[in-house]
Amino acid sequence: MRPTILHHPAPKRSVAPVFWLLFGAGGMLSALFGPALIILTGFMLPHGWGVPANFSDFPHVLAFVRHPIGKLVVLAVIALFFWHGAERLFLTLKDMRAGPPLLLRLMTYGVAALLTLVTIALLLAIGF
Amino acid sequence: MSERRPFHRPQPRHWWAHKPYLAYTVRELSGVAVAVYGAILLAGLICLWRGPEAYAVYRRILSSDAAFAVHLVLLAAMLWHVLTWFQILPKTMPKLILRGRPVPQRQVTAIALLVAMVCSAALLVVVVAIGVTS
Repeated sequence: MRPTILHHPAPKRSVAPVFWLLFGAGGMLSALFGPALIILTGFMLPHGWGVPANFSDFPHVLAFVRHPIGKLVVLAVIALFFWHGAERLFLTLKDMRAGPPLLLRLMTYGVAALLTLVTIALLLAIGF
Repeated sequence: MSERRPFHRPQPRHWWAHKPYLAYTVRELSGVAVAVYGAILLAGLICLWRGPEAYAVYRRILSSDAAFAVHLVLLAAMLWHVLTWFQILPKTMPKLILRGRPVPQRQVTAIALLVAMVCSAALLVVVVAIGVTS
């Protein structure tokens, strides 16, 4: 009897690892610096606790966001936080069977992608 | 017509709102709180781009009692995210073996939590130090 040879087609490439990478990066960034960021922008800066009162003045914050490193920090925090939330919300809604997967993807990944582009556009519009 | 009629175990519609799945749901939603915080920062960026008047409105809103309460909730969710994130870490990373012995998962979590605390504390110290010296 002839041995049967099974031909396995090359596995279909998936885009899932890209989303997992963004999810993981956002999760790690927020896990390491998230609490400090919320304390800083939610309590210390608005109320002038522990920092000079003029720290959150328009010219100061504008100068920070105009600096290339400042831009990178703002982009990383906003975009990666969105991608992290999007992945978690997508998987949860999928498990809840809240709707067709394509719609859920648009509502989560789609929104994260759109807001990432908006953030990039704003950072460029604010200038250097 | 398919002859296959597999058994589907009945599942209540709101399974995610009940134990033991509730812990999973809360953990996932704490990740969504991270994105909500990102949205607050994005709103600030939009106001910054629109100019000093819009930015002044953003500052006034952020110093209100309501914003304070929202940030308290977000901080609680963020801390829950930090804890659960590092509880998952040893389960997702390759097994850590030091001197021929596997490092217990609890120990990996504890060390990672310590690193996270140092990172967050360092960021606050740096900002306060810049404020003091400027």
